Amino acid sequence: MNAPVVEARHLTVELGERPVLHEVDFHVNEGEVVTLLGANGSGKSTLVRAVAGLVPVTSGEITLFGQPQRSFRAWKRIGYVPQRLTATGGVPATVREVVSSGRLAHRRPFLPASRADRDAVEWAIDLVGLSDRINDGIQTLSGGQQQRVLIARAAAGTPDLLVLDEPNAGLDWRSQEAFARSLRTFVASGRTVLVVLHDMGPLAPLVDRGVVLDAGRVTHDGPLPVPAGAAGMPDDHRHTTGEQTGPFGWIS
Amino acid sequence: MNIVTELLSYDFMRRALIAALLTGLAAPAVGAYLVHRRLALMGDGIGHVALTGVAVGLLTGWAPVWTAVVVAIAGSITIELVRAYGKASADVALAMLFYGGIAGGVLLTGLAGSTAATLNTYLFGSITTVSPADLWVIGILAAVVAALAVGLAPQLFAICQDEEFARATGMPARLYSILIAVMAAVTVAVAMRTVGLLLVSALMVVPVATAMQLTRGFRTTFLLALTLGVVPSLSGVVFAFHVDVAPGASIVVLALAGFVLSWPLGTLVRRMRAREDVAGEDPRITGEHIPTEDHPHEHDDECGHPAVVHGDHTDYLHDGHLHAPHGRHYDEH
Repeated sequence: MNAPVVEARHLTVELGERPVLHEVDFHVNEGEVVTLLGANGSGKSTLVRAVAGLVPVTSGEITLFGQPQRSFRAWKRIGYVPQRLTATGGVPATVREVVSSGRLAHRRPFLPASRADRDAVEWAIDLVGLSDRINDGIQTLSGGQQQRVLIARAAAGTPDLLVLDEPNAGLDWRSQEAFARSLRTFVASGRTVLVVLHDMGPLAPLVDRGVVLDAGRVTHDGPLPVPAGAAGMPDDHRHTTGEQTGPFGWIS
Repeated sequence: MNIVTELLSYDFMRRALIAALLTGLAAPAVGAYLVHRRLALMGDGIGHVALTGVAVGLLTGWAPVWTAVVVAIAGSITIELVRAYGKASADVALAMLFYGGIAGGVLLTGLAGSTAATLNTYLFGSITTVSPADLWVIGILAAVVAALAVGLAPQLFAICQDEEFARATGMPARLYSILIAVMAAVTVAVAMRTVGLLLVSALMVVPVATAMQLTRGFRTTFLLALTLGVVPSLSGVVFAFHVDVAPGASIVVLALAGFVLSWPLGTLVRRMRAREDVAGEDPRITGEHIPTEDHPHEHDDECGHPAVVHGDHTDYLHDGHLHAPHGRHYDEH
């Protein structure tokens, strides 16, 4: 039996007096890929933000890697991918610079990056297939590529748990597929993933368990039926298995 | 050579040039973070608040540089806290702080019996009034700001790029945010004698904006902005000496002239870069054998991609470019 990586008990979160989560019980085990589903405003983003320590817990308790969140300090074990369509600031920044900030939990202030830090950054950029754009400005990338940069940034810290908030929002089908391939490589290394999704898209085959939230309460927790050819999307791609192997070792 | 020797023969001019050099380094160093964080006008606001600090100095007889540092730091921390916790609209709260700063400054200066001319030397800089004691203060403060801006560059960059992500990595994000605000406040006080409180923000923002026209990374922008801050600062002081105007105005006009010049240059650089990228990638130009990356399906009559018969083979139109079958994969065509 794998140990729980995330465990929430009777979790209640209020955002500005408005209760968003009511007594939610929820867990993610080591090596699992768990998806949070639900309508807009059902509290799924709030739940992962509470797990990532970005919103305060009103009552109840969150345990991370067996430790209460209040005394948890090993934040480098968690990689967070925020819900964002653009990753740009006011000044241009290269892909390498943005991904490097995902490595900061491993570094000390005033000291230069070590060999291991630089290698991890390059590995993470390779993971999302953007090695040829490494020194390009992030503002010159497409929306899907920018989203993959944010995933690389979280992966650069070599976290044991990856938490993603609607990584597919606003992306076309092709970008979603590229993202699903990156995630598959990450999962293949035995790591844990908690992902908020609006619809499953090409991620469906990766997901072990789905948790459905409605108005701040869990209404379903268990395996999700995987529709043949993910539902709701025009699937004009006839997938052949065993024919082609992508550049990172996955089956296309 | 004569001009240089003449300039350096004046004690006040030597001090003014050293102060301009330090200001030209510190202001864009902090400015790069403020611009990246989309808080380009923060320096302006702190400058207004620092005016009250100067007036406190005039009223009490303490050194205005120190009182300005203290009041500017207090103001910048207030701005940062309003930004972080403010329930009311942050920009309205900030605007009121700015007005309060400038009104308080003028009021206190009046009470101190100082004239508008005295106030002007702080508002727009004054090369003749940098005292040896001032220079020590400016030197130490500028060195501290520059050391922090360079030494903590990865952390400060991460905070400005995405504050929420930085918090999720367990970094003391609020502490770093306040640090940036305090660095900006100190820079305002450093720049007060050279470029003046009302124009200090220009020296933080304009060199960065100019550098951005030519660069594609934060690090290169940062380094280029330091150069683009030092050059107009030094030449602005020299110009102000010859024509007898306030140095702040000439420094900012020179910096803006640099920006205007960089604009067409930047367009040219970007266009050349785009051509380079195309030449490096498009097989129609290079004629290279480039297999398509990770192709998800086999093209055939039913795959939905328009087929284009091309001599001895059939290509498939795929997102605006052609895929040609080649063995078990497709080539960009």
